[in-house]
Amino acid sequence: MPYVTFEQDKAYLLGKFRHPVFDPSTGLDNETIMQQMLPLADTMEGLPHPVIKGRLFAYICRNLQIDVSPHDWFPGFGCWDRYRRPISPVISRWDREVNEQILRESIPVIRKHNEAGLFSMWKDFDHSVPDWEAILTLGFPGLLERARHYRARHERAETLTEAAKAYFDGIELSLQAVLEMLDRFIRYAREHADGNPRMLAEADCLEQLRTGAPHNCYEVLQMIYLHFMFCEHIDRMQVRSLGNLDRILFPYFERDLREHRYTEAQIREFFACFFMQFASINNYWGHPFFLGGTKADGSTEVNPLSYLILDVFDKLGVTSPKIQLKIARNTPHAFIDKALDMIRRGHSSLVFVSEESIRSAMMSHGLTEEQARTCDISGCYEFVPRAQGNTTGVGYLNLLKPFELIFNDGKDPKTGLTFSCGAEKLDEIQSFDAFFDAYLRWLGDVIETAIYCSSEFEKYLYVINPAQLYSATIRNSLETARDAFSNGCVYNNSSLLSAGFGTAVDALMAVKEFVFDRQELTLAEFRDILNRNWAGHEKLRLRILHAKNKYGNGIEAVDALALRLARFLGEKINLRPNARGGIYEASGHCARTFITLGERTGATPDGRFAGDEMSKNLSPTMGMDRNGVTALIRSVTQIDPTIFPAGLTLDVMMHPATVQGEEGLTAMRGLLFTYLLNNGIAMNINIFDANVLEDAQRHPERYEGLQVRVCGWNVRFNDLSRKEQDAYIERARNIAE
Amino acid sequence: MSVTGIILEPKRFAVHDGPGIRTTFFLKGCPLHCRWCHNPESISPEPELAFYAHKCIGCGECVHVCPQQAHMLDGGRHAFHRAACTVCGRCEAVCLGTALKRIGKRVCPEEVVAVAVEDRAFYEQSGGGVTLSGGEPLYQPAFCLEVLKQLKAAGLHTALDTCAFVPRAALEAALPHTDLFLVDFKHSDPEEHRKLTGQPNGLILENLRFLSGRNARMEIRIPLVPGCNDSDGNLERAGEILAPLSVERVRLLPYHDLARTKYNALGKADTMPRVAAPTAAQLDRAAALLRRHGLTVTTPAS
Repeated sequence: MPYVTFEQDKAYLLGKFRHPVFDPSTGLDNETIMQQMLPLADTMEGLPHPVIKGRLFAYICRNLQIDVSPHDWFPGFGCWDRYRRPISPVISRWDREVNEQILRESIPVIRKHNEAGLFSMWKDFDHSVPDWEAILTLGFPGLLERARHYRARHERAETLTEAAKAYFDGIELSLQAVLEMLDRFIRYAREHADGNPRMLAEADCLEQLRTGAPHNCYEVLQMIYLHFMFCEHIDRMQVRSLGNLDRILFPYFERDLREHRYTEAQIREFFACFFMQFASINNYWGHPFFLGGTKADGSTEVNPLSYLILDVFDKLGVTSPKIQLKIARNTPHAFIDKALDMIRRGHSSLVFVSEESIRSAMMSHGLTEEQARTCDISGCYEFVPRAQGNTTGVGYLNLLKPFELIFNDGKDPKTGLTFSCGAEKLDEIQSFDAFFDAYLRWLGDVIETAIYCSSEFEKYLYVINPAQLYSATIRNSLETARDAFSNGCVYNNSSLLSAGFGTAVDALMAVKEFVFDRQELTLAEFRDILNRNWAGHEKLRLRILHAKNKYGNGIEAVDALALRLARFLGEKINLRPNARGGIYEASGHCARTFITLGERTGATPDGRFAGDEMSKNLSPTMGMDRNGVTALIRSVTQIDPTIFPAGLTLDVMMHPATVQGEEGLTAMRGLLFTYLLNNGIAMNINIFDANVLEDAQRHPERYEGLQVRVCGWNVRFNDLSRKEQDAYIERARNIAE
Repeated sequence: MSVTGIILEPKRFAVHDGPGIRTTFFLKGCPLHCRWCHNPESISPEPELAFYAHKCIGCGECVHVCPQQAHMLDGGRHAFHRAACTVCGRCEAVCLGTALKRIGKRVCPEEVVAVAVEDRAFYEQSGGGVTLSGGEPLYQPAFCLEVLKQLKAAGLHTALDTCAFVPRAALEAALPHTDLFLVDFKHSDPEEHRKLTGQPNGLILENLRFLSGRNARMEIRIPLVPGCNDSDGNLERAGEILAPLSVERVRLLPYHDLARTKYNALGKADTMPRVAAPTAAQLDRAAALLRRHGLTVTTPAS
C-alpha cells in the first residue's frame, strides 16, 4: 500500500530541505549551477533581462539534480536552499547595476536612513500571491497556451513592442522549461520506481500536470507545491500564500470521496505530506495559507475540509506552514473553537483576520465589496484583491527615532549622522504642543524621504527581477504585456509599515507629563539623561514607567493622542501615488523590526533603555497594558481600519488558567469577535504561563514542541535567543490569571 | 447624597464568575473568616495598606512623604509600622517598586456602573455581564442593592457571588435585580463550618432554601480544600442538601495557596492550610460523588 505510511516517512520529510541527498547522476549540484550563472549571463549581454532570466531558468531546470523518493508524494529539487538560490548572483548583479547606474541619488539616502535607523527599507519581492485559480484551472500547459494567446493578440493589435516581446519570451522560456523539468521527474520516477506504487502514482500525477490541469486533491496539492518551488527556488520570487486551501480544494475533495478515488485517510496523508514540505523548508516567517471566508450568497466558506485541514495541521505541531483564518459573523463557532482550542494548547501558528474590517479598509481605497469579499490573505495578515493585486512592503518607519532627532537637533547620537527637517530646535520648544509638532515634523520628513526613495527604486523592480512565472498567472499582466512587478497587476500598491507605535505614544505622554505638566525636568536635562541611557536616573525612569498614562489601557487622553498619531500616519501615507501606478498604504504591522530598529535606537522618554525592543504592531509597550485585555482592545479598536488600509494587528497574551474549560473557550471567542467586529483586522494570541517558559529555558529538552507567536509567525521557544526568551518571560509575568 | 461603598480593584475579563466575559467588583468586608480565603484583603471592611516586601527596592520615597512616620528605612531595609498607618495613600503614589498598595476605595454606585459599561461590547459578544463579589457584597447591602439596580437599568446581566451568611432581607431585596446567584457552600456540618469559617452554616442553608423557594437561578461554588471539606461524607451530605434546590450547577474550585503572599503583605496571620492543591483525580472523584445526586458539576478543566 502506498498510503498511510506518514509516521514512517516523517523523519525523511523533515530532513528533505535541511540535509537532502541527491543522486549525482541526475544532474549538477546547486553550487556548480550557481557558479555558472554569471558566466552564462555574460554570454547573453545586451539581451533583455526577461530573456536572460528565462534562459537561465531553463538551464537550471535542465541541469539541476532531482529526486523522487518513495517516502514522499512530492519531488525533490536540487536547489533546495533558500539562502543559495542558483539565480541569485545574476539578480544581485542587476540590483547593483540599477543602484549604481540609475539610483545614484536615492540609494545613498536609503543607506544613511537605514544606518541611523530612521527606517528599514529594501526592495520587496516577497509578498506576491499568484492567481491560484488560473494555475489550477489551466495547469502549466494551459498557462503557456494562454500566454501565447495574449502574445498573438498583441501581435495582431500591433502592440507587441520590443519590451512586450521580451516579456512574453521570458514567460515562454520559463514555462517550457517547467514542462521539461516535469518530464525529467516523470522519467526518473518511472526508471527508479522498481515497482514502488507511490513513485508510480507520483509519476502518473506529474504526467497529468505535464499535459493539463489537476483533477484531484493530490494533483492540486502537487500543482501548488510545484508552482511554489519553480517560482520561489528557481525564479527567485516569493509565493506569499499557498491560497485559500479549503475553498479551492473542496470540490476536488468531494469528488475524490464520491468517486472513491481516495479515502479520507489518504487525503489526510496528502495534506500532511504537503505541509511537511514547508515545515522542512522552515522559513522563519512561516509559509502561509488561509481558510474560511464568505461565499457570494453570504454563507461561510468553511466546509468539512476546513476542519480536516486544521486537524491534520494540529497533529503535525509545526510552525510552518502557518494558517490565517478569515473570520466573519457567519463563521461557525465550532470551527473557531477548534482553532482557539489549538491556540490554548500552545499550537498558535494561527491568526484570525476579520472580513468586516478588511472590507472597510479595502473600500476606503476604492475597491468594491466583491473584491473585499474574495481577497487573498498573504504574508502575515495582509490582504490583496485576488489575482489583481501585488502589494509590496517598501519600508518600516521607526516611530521612536524622531525623539532622538528632536533631542539632539537632528543628530543621531549613535552614528553621528545628521538630518534636518526645519523642525524647531530643542531649546525653542516651550510647550508640549510644540514638542508634538516637532515630533510630527520629523516623522513627516522621514515619511517623505521613505516615499521619495521607494518611489525611485520601485520603478525598477521588474528590471532587477522580472517576475515571469508570477506574471504568467495574472491576466492583467498578460493583457498589458507588463511585468507584474511593474504595473502589470490592476492594483500595484506599496505599503509603509511602522514600528514602535505604542512606545511612541508612551514617550510623548512622558514628555507631556514630566517636562511640561509637572515640570520635573527640562528638555535639555531629559536629553542628557537619555544620551547617558538613564545612568544615575533610575528613580526618574521608574517614576515614568509607573506613570498611569500608557497606551493600551483604555485611557481617554492617551487614546486620543494615539489616534492623532495614527491619523497623521494615515494622512501622510494613504492614497499617495507610488511608482508602479498604484498608491501607498499605511500599515500598523512591523514584522521583526520592533527588535531590529529597537537595536538602532537610543533610550526614549517612556523609560526604555537604548537598544531595547519597542512595541510591536499596534500593541502597547511590553508590560504597559495594566488594565487587562478588554481595556487593551478598547484602546486599539478606536483606530479605524481605514487609517491602516494595509492592515493592523494586535498581540494578545493570556494565562492558561484564564482560558481553561468550555468557559475559557467562550471567553476567547467573545474577545476575538469583539475585536474583529469592532475595527480589529488581525489578532495574534499567545497563551503563556511564565513558570512554564522559565522551566523551558532551564530544560529546553523537555519543551521541544513549545511555540511562541513572534509577530505574524511562530517560532519554537528553544530557537529564540536568550534575550528574546527573557523578553517573553517578562511579558508572561505581566499577565495575571 | 447617594450611598457609597468600599471596593477593591475590579477584575475585567473575569471568565469564571458567571457566564461569558464579565467584570467582577469585589466589595470589601466579609462576615466569615475562611481559613483558606484567597482574598484576605477583602475581609476587613476598612481600607488597608498592603506592603509587598519582595517588590521593595529600598528607594526610601515613602519615608519622605509619610506624615505618620509609618515607613522607616533601617540599614537599607524597609520597616513598616502598620499601627501608625492611616492609609492616606501618599506612599503608594511615590513608591518606585510598586511595593505599596492601598486596598479599598470608597466609590458611589455610578462609578461602578461607569466602569462596568466600558466593556459592554465584550459582554454582548460572549453572553457575559457583571458580577458583584467580595468579601461579601451583601455586607454593604444598601450599596450593593443600588449597584445592582443601576446595572440592571443599564441593561447588563448581573451575578451576585455571596457566602449567604447574610440577613434574608438583604437577599430578598437583591433578588429582583440579580440574574444569577453564585452561592458558596463550604461545609455541610454546622460545627465543622464554624471551625473553618468562624460561623455555623444554619443561616446559609436557610438562605439557600429561601432562594430556591423563589426559583432563583443558582450556581453553587464549593472550594475543595483537601483535609478540610473534601471527605466523602461531607460531599455526600452536600449532595443531599443541594439536590432538591434550584441549583443549575455546582462548580468545584480547587484550593490553591497563591494568596499566601497577600497575607504577609497585609500583616495578617496566615491561616491557609498547608496542603497541596487537589489533584485532577481528587477533583474528578468529588465531582462524581456530587453527580450521583443528579447535580451538574463542573471543574476548571471541563
